Amino acid sequence: MSEREQVQEYPLAEAVPPERLQAETAELARLQQASVWTRAWGYLKLGGPGYLDAATTLGAGTLTAAMLSGAAFGYKTMWVLWVSMGLGMFMMAACARFTCRGGFRVIVEQNRYHGVIVGSLMTGLIGTAAVAVIFNYGQYSIGTHLIESLAPMLGFDFPRQINWVLFMAVTSYLTLSYGRGSRGITVVESFMKLAIATMLICFGICLALVGVDWVGLVRGIFVPWLPSGVEGVDLFVASSAAAIGVMDWILFQYAGLARGWGRKHETLARFDIVFGLFLPFVLVNYLVIAVFAGTLHKVGLSPETAPELARALAPLLGPTWSQALFYVAFLAVPVTTTVGMSIAAAIAIHEALGWKPDTRSLRWKVSALLPQVGFLAVWYPRPIWLVVAIAAFLSLSNNIVGWSFYLLLNDRRVLGEDRSKSYVWNLGTMLLLTLLNCVAIIYVFNRLGWWVR
Amino acid sequence: MINLDHRYGPWSGRVWGLIVNLAANALALYGLAGYLRDGGRLLHLVIGLAVTVGCILLLARPSQ
Repeated sequence: MSEREQVQEYPLAEAVPPERLQAETAELARLQQASVWTRAWGYLKLGGPGYLDAATTLGAGTLTAAMLSGAAFGYKTMWVLWVSMGLGMFMMAACARFTCRGGFRVIVEQNRYHGVIVGSLMTGLIGTAAVAVIFNYGQYSIGTHLIESLAPMLGFDFPRQINWVLFMAVTSYLTLSYGRGSRGITVVESFMKLAIATMLICFGICLALVGVDWVGLVRGIFVPWLPSGVEGVDLFVASSAAAIGVMDWILFQYAGLARGWGRKHETLARFDIVFGLFLPFVLVNYLVIAVFAGTLHKVGLSPETAPELARALAPLLGPTWSQALFYVAFLAVPVTTTVGMSIAAAIAIHEALGWKPDTRSLRWKVSALLPQVGFLAVWYPRPIWLVVAIAAFLSLSNNIVGWSFYLLLNDRRVLGEDRSKSYVWNLGTMLLLTLLNCVAIIYVFNRLGWWVR
Repeated sequence: MINLDHRYGPWSGRVWGLIVNLAANALALYGLAGYLRDGGRLLHLVIGLAVTVGCILLLARPSQ
């Protein structure tokens, strides 16, 4: 077996029965000849890694930023989301290329061409696994708050000091279902699709109750506006960087490999990036911003934390059932993010340390459940020294990992004739890398006292 | 014209381009910070922006 063939094998894909993969390939060939609508519907059903990525990216931090933005600035900063996520699409397309045409595991190739510091350490252990563990504190914190707030609407009390057990049980079960048996991956991806649909429907109903200023909304989406001075620069850079990062790239690349995607899946992969990741991410954020723009922004309320924001919003939504809908949609956010981040952590730890991923092994289960340490957030805040260390490393390494992906995409030794031959694709990737550079530089400038305060 | 895939010392032209772009980004932001604070360092901002745009346009070229 050649080195290339060894790299191409990804053990999680072995769980997918060959006959199902053949049927999927035949279905893709049939869809190629079908009408636009039939093709779109077919791709929506076959997609999955994109939804997994969207559900992971739509976390407590992203939604809190959307709520704060809506409460403070109304509709005005909505354009930042499609611009930043749009730039992220160029890198996601590179990940799709690595999966479908390269057929390789990106961390392995990074280790080979750019060294283990860039591959295993920056991409795997810090950029994905450590981020999953640290960021999961936030998911637990919000998730348990939301269950505590939702329970009285259903007629009972369920304090967070107890309900974290339920949060842990549900998210652990889903995490460990991934890759288990022939349908494990489909079950988790279907759950993610269902959760995103729940967010869209429930937040959509809340928005319908609140009402929309259509002129303000259209202006917010298409007319760039930022607060003046350094606040505007910080807001744009932070929002852009938060939209998509190393974990999203890794999760999409390996989730595609786990589905057994090959050359014939690249069109599906690109469709999945746009309709599974970009649109759900942008739409859910828009709905949340619009709900807060139509309520808290109007009355001039601007609480600073997610639980306070949700509590301030609840009475403005009217009847109890609409408040419950908001809490249900919001609860889907930390649940799906915990599951997605846990899967990403397990994948990254195994790749970084050169372990064979086997979802039945104790090693996989421990790696996948590592982010569950976030349950401590019910009693303690995140350890600040660790947050500062991870944030520093992440700010300074995200762009280096991005450079590595860009170089792989343009490397003849890695992709041969499948390397990027598109000026526009490279241009979009370079704009994203420049944005990630700016995040790193502003972080350093802040530490040196060179940035404006 | 610079061959981005040729090695110049330890790294390829593409890697050197990424490093120059990072330096230009830093210069532009240093200039921006000064401009936002007291209207100074406009030259840093302009040079940093110009080199950044040049690097982005150059590095967008696919390999031959």
